[in-house]
Amino acid sequence: MKTTRLLIIDDEPDFSALLKANLEEAGSFEVREVNDSSQAIETIWSFKPDLCLIDVVMPGMDGGDVVAKIREDPALATLPVMMLTALVEENPESSDGETMTGGLAFVSKTSSFETILACIEKHLEEAGV
Amino acid sequence: MALAFCGLLGIGILATRPEHPAVRVAAVAVGALSIVTLSWNLRRRAGITSREAEILADKLVEEYDVLEQRLEDERDARLMIERYFDALMEHIPSSLYFKDLESRFLKVNQKMAESFGCDHPTDMLGRTDHDFFGGTHADDALEDERRIIQTGKGVIGKVEFEEFVGGKQGWVLTTKMPFREHNGRVIGTFGMSSDVTELMETRNTLERERNMLRSLIDSFPDRIFVRDPERHYLVVNRRLAEWAGVGGPDEMLGKKPEDFFPQRRTKKGIQEDLDLLAGDREVVTREWSTRMEDGEERMVVTTKVPWFDRDGRCVGIVGMDRDVTDERRARVQLAETQRRLQEVMDNSPAVVYMKSREGCYLMVNRGFEEMFGLQREDVLGRSDEEILSDKEAAAAFRERDLEVIERGTTEPLDEQFFVAGEPRWYATVRFPLRDERGEIYAVGGVSTDVTDRREAEDSMKRLNYELVKTNEDLQRAHEQLIQAEKMESVGRLASGVAHEVKNPLAMIGMGLELLARRIPEEDDAGRETIERMKRGIERANRIVRGLVDFSSARQFKLEPARPNHVFRDALSLVEYQLKKENVKVVEEFGKNLPMVEVDLPKLEQVLVNLLINAQQAMEKGGRITVRTYETRLSDIKRDQGLRTSRHLRMNDHVVCLEVEDTGPGIPEENLKKLYDPFFTTKPTGVGTGLGLSVSRKIVELHQGRLELFNREDGLGAIARITLNACADPEVAAES
Repeated sequence: MKTTRLLIIDDEPDFSALLKANLEEAGSFEVREVNDSSQAIETIWSFKPDLCLIDVVMPGMDGGDVVAKIREDPALATLPVMMLTALVEENPESSDGETMTGGLAFVSKTSSFETILACIEKHLEEAGV
Repeated sequence: MALAFCGLLGIGILATRPEHPAVRVAAVAVGALSIVTLSWNLRRRAGITSREAEILADKLVEEYDVLEQRLEDERDARLMIERYFDALMEHIPSSLYFKDLESRFLKVNQKMAESFGCDHPTDMLGRTDHDFFGGTHADDALEDERRIIQTGKGVIGKVEFEEFVGGKQGWVLTTKMPFREHNGRVIGTFGMSSDVTELMETRNTLERERNMLRSLIDSFPDRIFVRDPERHYLVVNRRLAEWAGVGGPDEMLGKKPEDFFPQRRTKKGIQEDLDLLAGDREVVTREWSTRMEDGEERMVVTTKVPWFDRDGRCVGIVGMDRDVTDERRARVQLAETQRRLQEVMDNSPAVVYMKSREGCYLMVNRGFEEMFGLQREDVLGRSDEEILSDKEAAAAFRERDLEVIERGTTEPLDEQFFVAGEPRWYATVRFPLRDERGEIYAVGGVSTDVTDRREAEDSMKRLNYELVKTNEDLQRAHEQLIQAEKMESVGRLASGVAHEVKNPLAMIGMGLELLARRIPEEDDAGRETIERMKRGIERANRIVRGLVDFSSARQFKLEPARPNHVFRDALSLVEYQLKKENVKVVEEFGKNLPMVEVDLPKLEQVLVNLLINAQQAMEKGGRITVRTYETRLSDIKRDQGLRTSRHLRMNDHVVCLEVEDTGPGIPEENLKKLYDPFFTTKPTGVGTGLGLSVSRKIVELHQGRLELFNREDGLGAIARITLNACADPEVAAES
């Protein structure tokens, strides 16, 4: 069975490392982290992830810029992305705690790991991975 | 013989004392008797023939008749003299008296008796002056009389000042003479006195007046003269004498003007005098000038009139020369000054006038003429009453002028006049005009058209008012802005802090997740530690969430709701906790309240917050009263605390939601800090210090008001939310 590749783009190495460890323990994920957003597109091309978890607030290119770069490239345009940010709270009105804005799903970083994992699985499923 | 002797004796007596009437009567009687007896005896004894005796007797009888006739005539003459004397005594207007050598009154007339206070002249006979007068007067009279008797010389026409009987004083003209018998021997005095008081007083008055007149004409600055028809000076005053260069007026009397002045000066005067004397002219007035020795030219006005006597005959000329040089110069200067003044006033934009005390115009300027549309010829000498058609205004002007005269002060005043039908405002200053003695003789006025200024002032006042108002608004807005900025900065800080805090929290959460899976099932302490740490993260998250809420710019979604429903929904959320903490809830909900527009979840969040606060204020439980009612705002200051167009205003129809507890109340010092972010009185971990500040912000976003205050009886605190009632009648009517 092919392992699912997850790319975490986040300028907080502590967080990305712990999330990576949790995800790898929780399932058959191959996780890679990029803490410098300027390396994001390059890493996407080399790593070819199934889903990108992108932080919003980052120095230099922020999460929005990264998504825009992805959407600009026709070869990457369909790449599933999920915004994982401390800017939003867990949405009590949504069953999975997500907030959908501008066609993007925002998941709160402070949600429990289970919630975050459920969201990841949902997006992978939607992408047919 | 004896008889013949008697007859001769009688004739003899008659011859020796023919003037004495008694003697003459006696002598005639004796004579007649002797003649009869003699003729009889002659016939009987001497042997004379009867014819001879008869002839003798006839002769004697004839002789006797003649004597008797003479006697009769004498007696008549004497009686006439006595009657003349008595008439004289009685009717003469003077007092007459005769005194003997001892100065006793022998005879006085009625006038004399009256002046001595006696009824009848006989009352005075035998008495002296001492019986009527005090010492000095009587002594003086006695002295006079003694001297007259001694010297035989009388006192004629002596004027004396005397005090009369009865105390009256006056002047008396007295003549006293010796009283002699026929042989010249002085046998007393007699005198006559007349009261000449009136005469003397008239004389004195005339004297005084003459002196006064003299002083007057001498002190006159003009040169005065009176001349006779031949132009000789009769009267000259001192000034004329000085002018002529002589020592005094007397030196000119009897002389002519030509004796003192050059011909060129007198030439015209001579003809004028002739005209006056001839009755061709009634008065001469001539102005002439002459150059003085020092080269100065003097102006003189000569005035002359004819002088008439009592019968209307012209007996001379009265005249006067007046030096009018200074007067003429002053007049020229005055005219110049007046012309300048008038020019200044005419060219002044103000209205200037001057009125007499009686209210008649003495002077007006062109501004006045223009304002009232009148010419000064029609104004001068007339009063406001006469020149103004508006009698009410005229009376008001007069009243104000009188005030100035009465108070003697300058009175400034703003007045309104209608000029060409337009109301105009004038700033008027009325002032008294005083003469050199300080007496007010006129009222002056200067009025300046200040309509434009007043309008400018009015609009300035309006602008100023608006400015003040705007300034107040600005001030308020500024304060609100400062407060808002403070809050905004706290908000920005909060959201920044939230992000920065949440990232490590998320990291720690992830770390705990990882660690939790590594702790063995049986390690209770380890699992407990993980749980505590997770709770810590949750608490930190809650605080951060509060901060984010506080600074959230999320759009409000306002919908009409029933206040009581909102309150009940919120109560249901905390029902369990209140019950657990032994708090009883009392509902005092108003009926048929209007709807309010609210963001339901947010307002619920506020009410929950207030209910939890109330519960936490009562450590040992208590009672919470929840209350709703509608009212009209009456306690709000203008634009207080809010900065949108929909904020609460006085008299707004509002709905209040109150939460009242039975706790200890809010300490005075905390009342002001209640809404500060992070201010809390609760133990660490119980409250975040963001509750009330967030709640207040939420209420303000509803254009409402959140207040916390203590009950007046001190038994607890009240939190009150005030919201505008729905203005839309359809919404308000919805049940």
